[in-house]
Amino acid sequence: MRSLPVIVVAALAIGAWSGVAAFEHGRPHVEAWREIAWPFPRDGWPAGRAFRCSGELCGDEVELYVRPKIGFCNCDSGVADDDEVDRVADLDLMSQRFTPLEPGRVVRIAEMPGRLRSYELRMSDGSQHTAVGIAVSRRCDLLVAVAQGKTSAPEVQRIALEFLATDAVTKWMVSSLDGR
Amino acid sequence: MIGHIKLATSCCIYFIACCTAAHAQQQVIGAPPEASNMKLVGANDLQARSAYQPTIHHQGDRWIAYIGHHGGTDDIPAAPNPLTEKAEPNGTSIVDVTDPAHPKYLRHIPGQEGKYEAGGAQMVRICDGKALPKGDPNAVYMLRTFGGEAHEIWNVADPANPVLITRIGGLKDTHKSWWECDTGIAFLVSGAPDWRTRRMTQVYDLGDPTHPLKIRDFGLPGQEPGATGAVPTELHGPISTGPEGNRVYFGYGTNKGGFLQIVDRDKLINGPREPTPDNLRLPEISRMPMSAFNGAHTTFPMRGMPIAEFAHDKDGKTRDIVMIVDEAILNECSEPRQMVWFADVTVENRPMMISSFTVPEASGSFCQRGGRFGSHSSNESMAPVFYKKMAFIAFFNAGVRALDIRDPYHPREVGYFIPSITAATDKRCVPVEGQDRCKVAIQTNNVETDERGYIYIVDRANTGLHILELTGPARAVAGLP
Repeated sequence: MRSLPVIVVAALAIGAWSGVAAFEHGRPHVEAWREIAWPFPRDGWPAGRAFRCSGELCGDEVELYVRPKIGFCNCDSGVADDDEVDRVADLDLMSQRFTPLEPGRVVRIAEMPGRLRSYELRMSDGSQHTAVGIAVSRRCDLLVAVAQGKTSAPEVQRIALEFLATDAVTKWMVSSLDGR
Repeated sequence: MIGHIKLATSCCIYFIACCTAAHAQQQVIGAPPEASNMKLVGANDLQARSAYQPTIHHQGDRWIAYIGHHGGTDDIPAAPNPLTEKAEPNGTSIVDVTDPAHPKYLRHIPGQEGKYEAGGAQMVRICDGKALPKGDPNAVYMLRTFGGEAHEIWNVADPANPVLITRIGGLKDTHKSWWECDTGIAFLVSGAPDWRTRRMTQVYDLGDPTHPLKIRDFGLPGQEPGATGAVPTELHGPISTGPEGNRVYFGYGTNKGGFLQIVDRDKLINGPREPTPDNLRLPEISRMPMSAFNGAHTTFPMRGMPIAEFAHDKDGKTRDIVMIVDEAILNECSEPRQMVWFADVTVENRPMMISSFTVPEASGSFCQRGGRFGSHSSNESMAPVFYKKMAFIAFFNAGVRALDIRDPYHPREVGYFIPSITAATDKRCVPVEGQDRCKVAIQTNNVETDERGYIYIVDRANTGLHILELTGPARAVAGLP
């Protein structure tokens, strides 16, 4: 009977620890990210911003590339389907060979609607990476992001979406479409 | 004290100079058109609808202009039609231009509901029934797009009372098609639902417009259903030389990552039809990639051009040329310059860009005027009056530009016309610090010519149709009296 308080305290402690762990797991961990130089050669669109998340929190390493594509979207229908994500989400910057892992889904980033889809990327050295392509739109403009890493697709999705939802990145995405 | 007066005076002069310069860049209602060696013959407001393709057809003893329209705008989704006294979604305007000084608006055929490129009926081509292999000899057929969802064929023998004949529907996008009147073969720019690209080619036999026969779907390997990996740039539009030339010139990309694709027409029409990567590659003769900065809106072939400079050369006196016109899509120079390119395709598997043309921006401070500045399209008539001698380029806020292209290695501007804006001219906006900043400027979108030598330009910003003719030295280039 005297052990009851111990059990209660232990249960509370475990619960609290689990909660903290869950909270830590769900936090964006902005500090794990750092901006890197845009790694791709010049193409039809101006370069965007590139970020790398290193360490355990990102399943070793995830890179994310994001940029606006002004005037590249159907002004009325927006990002209409998965084929459009295949076309516009900058996956081809990393590899011409990518295969969707599943049908995409609707997503909303910085109040902009669009779609997200996961892919398997076959890199030029033969290695396989997981990638997540994201395309959202505002009026006739697109904002695209692509994240890639070696962890699972759901993990890359989670890590990328958390980072894109941070205040600083959200503000930059909106301002980049506002001509600032 | 004297220093302060000097400073104040300098500030005033600077302020006045700045205001004057800014004012000079802006078009104002009531100001005359800007012109050189071109003059206005007549005009029509096209019911203040945003205009795309004009096609001018000699129909009996009349000349009729058929003009495709984009969808409506946020402010006016469906403009009023004074002839019916109803608001109608933008579609096709039919205008009698027999007397070009007094064009007479005959009919508006409504298009698909929807704004901007999501609605309207942008594209239009015309063939006489007597020219088509199985057409009704008394009919005149108009092939038009119906928004993004369909292609339609109308009998416009009585242009004031068109009759719908056929609809090819179930599509997700359409655009700049080509129709051979002597064979009936049509290269329809469509978005087939299962293809991975917005726009590809559907080849049809429309020799009997009442019974369209699909021949095949065509596109680039990677665009076909079931493909994976990178998706090649989408099609903008083709131009065929017919069975005699046996080539189709496809322009891909609009303002980015474009290329010219040269295709063997016979292999395209009669080759294996299943859209496998091998079958899609089979008809291709070559591709000429352009910079990622530029796209191909129009690919206008001019085969067998005699080049005066090469007249004494033992080989290569004549050249096959394709004029490639990019499309500017962003307002106020927010993208790399879109312009005109000339490619020498005489050696078909090694096409090469040989020259280019753009309007000097400083000649009109066009980046500050508002709206788009850059090229959009050229005339596509191959009538002898201008073919291989002059080209007319729609250049948005720089109006239409008349080029002497007799030496395509050195194209030269010989005239231009920038229409006046009117109360109907719509604004064009750019985001500045999160707010829209809008200006009003002419937006010459498309141009076509007729066999008489008139030039027809239409405006994307709702200013209507202007019919022009050449004057002075520009007439001499075309050999006009």
